Amino acid sequence: MYRYDEFDHEVVQSRVKQFRNQVERRLKGALTEEQFRPLRLQNGLYLQLHAYMLRVAVPYGTLNSTQLRQLAMIADKYDRGYGHITTRQNMQFNWPELTDVPDILQDLADVQMHCFQTSGNCIRNVTSDPYAGAIADEVADPRPTAELLRQWSTMHPEFAFLPRKFKIAVVASPNDRAVIRAHDIGIEIKKNANGEIGYHILVGGGLGRTPVIGQTLQPFLAREGLLPYLEAVMRVYNRYGRRDNKYKARIKILVTETGIDEFRAQVDAEYETLTPSDIAVSQDEIDRISSYFTGPNYENLSDESEALKDQIKNDDDFSGWYETNIMPHKTPGYAIVNISLKPLDIAPGDITSGQMRAVSDLADQYSFGEIRTTHSQNIVLPHVKKDDLPALYQALKAEKLAVDNIGLISDIICCPGMDYCALATARSIPVSQAIAERFSDKTREKAIGEMQIKISGCINACGHHHVGHIGILGLEKAGVEFYQVKLGGDSSENTAVGDITGPGFSQDELVDGIERMVDFYLNNKKDNERFIDSYRRLGLGAFKEVLYADR
Amino acid sequence: MSAKHKGKGPQALTANELREGFVVWLTKNFEWSLEFEHALLTEDVDMIEKMRVFGEAQENENIVVGVYFIDVDPDSGKPVRYREKFRVSGPTL
Repeated sequence: MYRYDEFDHEVVQSRVKQFRNQVERRLKGALTEEQFRPLRLQNGLYLQLHAYMLRVAVPYGTLNSTQLRQLAMIADKYDRGYGHITTRQNMQFNWPELTDVPDILQDLADVQMHCFQTSGNCIRNVTSDPYAGAIADEVADPRPTAELLRQWSTMHPEFAFLPRKFKIAVVASPNDRAVIRAHDIGIEIKKNANGEIGYHILVGGGLGRTPVIGQTLQPFLAREGLLPYLEAVMRVYNRYGRRDNKYKARIKILVTETGIDEFRAQVDAEYETLTPSDIAVSQDEIDRISSYFTGPNYENLSDESEALKDQIKNDDDFSGWYETNIMPHKTPGYAIVNISLKPLDIAPGDITSGQMRAVSDLADQYSFGEIRTTHSQNIVLPHVKKDDLPALYQALKAEKLAVDNIGLISDIICCPGMDYCALATARSIPVSQAIAERFSDKTREKAIGEMQIKISGCINACGHHHVGHIGILGLEKAGVEFYQVKLGGDSSENTAVGDITGPGFSQDELVDGIERMVDFYLNNKKDNERFIDSYRRLGLGAFKEVLYADR
Repeated sequence: MSAKHKGKGPQALTANELREGFVVWLTKNFEWSLEFEHALLTEDVDMIEKMRVFGEAQENENIVVGVYFIDVDPDSGKPVRYREKFRVSGPTL
């Protein structure tokens, strides 16, 4: 994976010193809270419902074992022994004290980590496919592009005060595992008929209170044009994006109001004023970045593993886990392992310090020290030998990390909600647990098959409810939580915003209603239809009738 | 920031500690407590004004941030607003 050069190192170290000084000045009163707030936010430090919250950047969801071990140390030394994986692949700590944060930033800097671009109206931490560099279906490794974007966007002086935050996601596979169409800019790396690699650029996607699916800005942008072109896009947004109304300030509103063709013309006109060679990086630099992502030293293996076959045959628990949590690797004899952070008794995406250490050790032992975080709030070991899967499974099981529910109904995306977040209107964690509990019968869960439930505790939609097969939005009226349901959303390459069903439910009513819809699906599905397929065939009306059956 | 109260019924004054960040409530001894049960609850307009002056001074002295009054239900003695109930109870898990 990428290693900091001297410039990165210097920038991160000097930021720690700056922030230490800023905190000292705040504590002495030389800075007011109003003056200090933007400074702390530029270092990922929020003041949340109960306490400060520190959001650590995990660029494109890539961690090494040393870094995850350091996060475990931070969780123990400065926090309450756990961290939380966010839907943008970052890690949050919920209980740091302001006086400790400079030391935390130093500890992060020691392992080439920081909290840049995890808050504020800048280009946020770039996200990507958690299977990057490992999955069989990718046309190229998206990480060198993501890293290039990180270097370009970090402290970009022109884009430090955009109209609003700006999120970019990159994938290199037709199967979108980073929800690129729900990003301000989504990038799909593609190969054209001549075998050349280029970029499909989408713009103006986003969730929040106004969900919009990104539109194609450029179907195939030549590789060398990426940074100059994105710079032109950012300039148009920076100039015309609405600063008069926070809720209309995202690029999705600008693109919608301007129209994609006119927006494209504006970008092209801006591009004409640039000197692309001043912005684009040299092939040498691209090669240098790419050299960090050449992949580990795989062994020459047969794709068939006898040890694996035996275990599948003889161990039902293992075979259940293998079925749901393993993805095909591009290298013969290897597999991608998903570690679910969705057990019944822990908030979705939470991981204890002990589990972080265990994952780090297992990554060293079985996955070349590489770890990924996913937007679904899980963890991935990207390069595991098939022969090692039985032993890895046993080790994960001992750490309560072998839950076999990836992509199933209990693998719920869930924001922190009112349990932690200052913006929330309702709790989301208890709802996700109630749903997971209701469907805890493994046979039934597997019979239901692929199902994406996504829960947000307010209309800002951090829990991606707009694109859930079943999306749930928590609201509050007169001191009572209630939950609205959307149906038919999709976060894959077939991105769709779910249909609003109608009036909301209490938590108990909600879980009953979901169960009725699931039973309806199981009773009416054709062949191998997934829930979402049946929904598309049968329509909102049919499911709504079932959802509201007891009204 | 002004802590001026606009609520109804008994009031309590709350904030976050600047250094630790934790939620605190003002007690009858004009100290900050991490426990809501120690919070001073009052409808006395003069007392509320004293609390406001104290709270704003504490903010200026960099002891707390984000001082504001919350409505308290006179019967239950608990905060009225849903959000404030969670600031008292902490996370569900």
